[in-house]
Parts: sequence; structure tokens; C-alpha cells
Amino acid sequence: MIEINNLVKRYGDKKAVKGISFTVNDGEVLGFLGPNGAGKTTTMNIITGYLSSTSGTVKVNGHDILEEPELAKKEIGYLPENPPLYNDMTVKEYLNFICDLKGVEKARRKNMLDNIVSMVKISDVYDRLIGNLSKGYKQRVGIAQALVGNPSILILDEPTVGLDPNQIIEIRRLIKALSKNHSIVISSHILSEIQEIADRVVIINRGKIAAVDTISDLSKRLSGQSKILLTFRGPVTDAVTKIRTVKGVSSAVSRVANKFSQIEITISANDTSETRIAIFNLMVREGWPILELRSLDPSLEEIFLNITSGKGGVKS
Amino acid sequence: MTAFFKREFLSYFRSPVGYVAIALFSFLSGFIFYSQFASGSVDIASEVISLRSFFVIIVPIITMGLLSEDKKRGTDILYYTTPVNLFNVVIGKALAAFALYAVMFVNVIIHIIVTLICGGKFGVGSVGAVIVFFFMAFMFISIGLFASAITDNQIISAIVAFIFILISQLLSTIAQYAGTAVVSILGIMKIKNAEPIGRAFNTTISWLDPFEKTKDFRLGLFSVSALFFLFSIGLLFLYFTFRILEKKRWSQA
Repeated sequence: MIEINNLVKRYGDKKAVKGISFTVNDGEVLGFLGPNGAGKTTTMNIITGYLSSTSGTVKVNGHDILEEPELAKKEIGYLPENPPLYNDMTVKEYLNFICDLKGVEKARRKNMLDNIVSMVKISDVYDRLIGNLSKGYKQRVGIAQALVGNPSILILDEPTVGLDPNQIIEIRRLIKALSKNHSIVISSHILSEIQEIADRVVIINRGKIAAVDTISDLSKRLSGQSKILLTFRGPVTDAVTKIRTVKGVSSAVSRVANKFSQIEITISANDTSETRIAIFNLMVREGWPILELRSLDPSLEEIFLNITSGKGGVKS
Repeated sequence: MTAFFKREFLSYFRSPVGYVAIALFSFLSGFIFYSQFASGSVDIASEVISLRSFFVIIVPIITMGLLSEDKKRGTDILYYTTPVNLFNVVIGKALAAFALYAVMFVNVIIHIIVTLICGGKFGVGSVGAVIVFFFMAFMFISIGLFASAITDNQIISAIVAFIFILISQLLSTIAQYAGTAVVSILGIMKIKNAEPIGRAFNTTISWLDPFEKTKDFRLGLFSVSALFFLFSIGLLFLYFTFRILEKKRWSQA
């Protein structure tokens, strides 16, 4: 369990983190969401002891990170945005080095490393130099490094950034597996990623908490403002007026998509699935072929607008 | 402490750095020993003393990346986020560089053995020279490590270490120049007692000269205070290094 209380970090006269408080409960996966530069990495660096806060406290399982740093750090496994890997070591040497740093006794080491290596699936690169590994494998070694010492809490800073789609799926699967016996804080600037893994989200923007919410409540709050993207062939003005009459549609904005005379319409609606069915039926009736019809994930900016525009407010 | 010692010592041999340093030292020591051997008068003490003048090149090579590389690659996050103590990081890294020096010194040990086999002497003066050599190595490595902590650029770190060590080698000359300069400036300003003040400058700066302090060792006259001086300067720079690492946590921008 991590208790973060009124955390402030000042760089010169600029405040990167302006009084953040939240709690990470035992066994939960907490998504830490915010656009780039919101203060996610700074906050995580403070929780893990890399940076010191200007004011405010962080307690990890009851140990203050400044007063009892060694006890607090034992409870945390940290994967920073750039995994701290040494390219001139093999995976095996590196993980043993991390064991040395975290004070894992020789007797427990073999067993622990065997478990970690099979869990994050790096056994086939175990004796290779880290510098020669692909980005996906490097990320796995980074996660393995965080797991050394059996910490009860994992802090993962944008673990899927820069990976290809397959690797992203695999890393997500791994994180899900890890969540069975760890509390996890995972940061991202992509909402859908967090939605898949996390139980609860903390959304921060410009160094302040914009919302603390469970995933289901958050989706409920956001569903009121969903958008649909429709691409088809047909007459523009006619289509827009007809779509506007469909039940649930609050607005429709068109633009000619490209030279193949495709037309793209962005539709705002209350309930996307019902509305999509209605639009499909409309298009069939009119004989306009649909090229694409999907609901759009709200962008983080829209979420912030939505959350900060009064509805609900901060709920913990 | 042993974790970083092991890692750094191994990494010397995963990159050209360790080999370059060892090759350079082997060449220099071999050259000196050979020229003594050829002229028929082998003196291990004078070989070791000559080798001291190459600290200025070899130390920056082996210390330049010790901390700056971690900073550049982001691996320094491990110092702060694992339960390891920062002072152990500093000492582990300094010891790794020191151990590399010990490996290089095997050359001299071979020369000693050859000298003894050929009926030469390895006297008290030579023992003194060797002791001073290792104390100086420790001191200069600490300075090099400090230079590596202040930047994330290996080249800058090497240059800073080079300048520090060069200055310490030139201290007696610098002291003379400073002394005369002070005398002439005070003379122009028509201040009385210019001579004694100039001499005081000279002696103060000379007092810091590690080479002057230890020059009697080769005569067999060991001085604990001189060794204590070298060791303290070394510790002082290790402490500065520690403070720089610690400070980073507070003032990182």
C-alpha cells in the first residue's frame, strides 16, 4: 500500500507537481493517466526515491521513503521510462547484479531468478548481451529487474511506449499476470491501455489530480459524450441532414476525406452502439456503401474537459 | 559495494578502455625497464617514479566513464531506487579503477622478479616508491571519479581529470611562479614585506604538492603524514563525489 500525501515538486520556480494525494491499495492495479508533461514521471520518481519531493510525504507499506528509505525501497520494483540496462552485460549477469544491489541472498537467488525468467519469458536470451536484444526483450528485462527481490508493489512508467503492437499485447498480458500477486501502478497517456488493465485510475493534468475514479465509473461518465466515425460514399449534404435526424445523434460534422470521393463524418451521440445500428440501417436504406463505422476513443483532452467541466468532480 | 565493484571491473574488459589502459601502461613500463636494463643499471624505484608521470593520461581514461556513463544512459536511477547506499556506489567504483591499476602493476612485479633473478636489488627505497605509487593512484582515481560525477559527458570528465592531475604535477613550478608574481605585484604596489609574503605563497602552494611531500620515500625515509595527506585528499574527493550524487536527487531539473 502506498499513501501519497500532498506531494509538491518544484524545479526552480516552476511547479511540476502541485499537491498530489492518492492511495494505492493492496492488490490493485492503479492506472496513472495524464498527457505528456503532466507530472507522471516526476511523481513516480518521487514515490520510488529517485527524486526528493519539495514537500509532502510518501509512505510505502508504512515506511516513509525519506525516513526509512531502505525499507521502503525493498517494497518497490520500479521500471522507469528508459529501463536502466547495461548494454555490456548479459541478461544473467545483469539480473545477478540487480540481486546484489537489492541484497538478495545467494541461497534464494537461483530460485527467484528462475521464476522471474520463466514469468517474463526471457530464458532464450538469458546468456545474450543486453545491447543485442530487441526493444521488446529489453523491456522484459526491465520488468524482470523490477521483480527482483519480490517487491509487493510494482511501479511501471509507460511500459509499452515504443513497442510494436504484438509486443504491446504481450507486455499487457504479462502485467495482467503480475497483477495477481502485486499491487501495480502503471502510467500511460493512452486511456484504452489503462482501461484494459487497471481497476482504478488517477488522472493528472498540469501537476494536479483531475480525477480519481474506478474504470467503470469513468467509462460511465465518459459514455455520455461518445463519438462515432463514419466513412462512406454518397452525397455529403444529404447524408449529414439525414444523419442528424437519427435518434441519439447530437451533432454531425462532415469532411471530404480523400480523392476517392469518400466522405468522413464525425458524429456525436449519447449511446454509440444503438446509434451505430441506426446509422447502418440508414445507410443501407439509402444505398450508400459504408467503408468504415466505429466509435472513437475520447482523447485525453476531451476527458479532461469532460471531467473538469463540473460533472462528478473528484471522487475517491 | 561489491556489486558496483564487480560490474565496473568487468566492464573495463567489455570495452576497449581496460585493454587500452593496460597496453599503455605495459608499453611505458616495459620501455622504461628495458632502457634501464640495457644500460645495466636497473632501479625499480626510478621506474615506478617515472611511471607516476603517466597518471595524467591513464587515470582520466579509466575514470572518465565511471559515473558519467550511468548518468547518460539513465542507469544511475539504480543508485537511488534500490536499497543500496550511495557511498557504497562511490567506493565500489573507485575500487574498480584501483583494481585495474593493480592489474597494470603486474608489469612492474614481473620487472622486480626479473631484476631479482638477474642479481639486482629491490631495496627499501623501491618499496617506498611502490607504496607512494599506490597511494597516489588512489588519490588521482578519486579526483577522476569526482570529475566523472560532475558531467554526463565522458570527454569533459576526462579533460577535467586531466587538468586536475596536471596541475598537481606542476604544483612546484606553479608555486615558484606564484611566489615571484606576488613579489613583483606587491613591489609595484609599493607594499612592504613583499619578499616574505611571496615566500609564504610559494611555501603554501608547495605544501600541497604530493610529489614534493613523498620524495624522500625512495631514500627509505617513510613518512606516515605524507601518506595520510595523499589518503585524505583521496577521501575528500570521494566525499565530494558522494555529495554530488546525493545532491542530484534534490535539484534535478
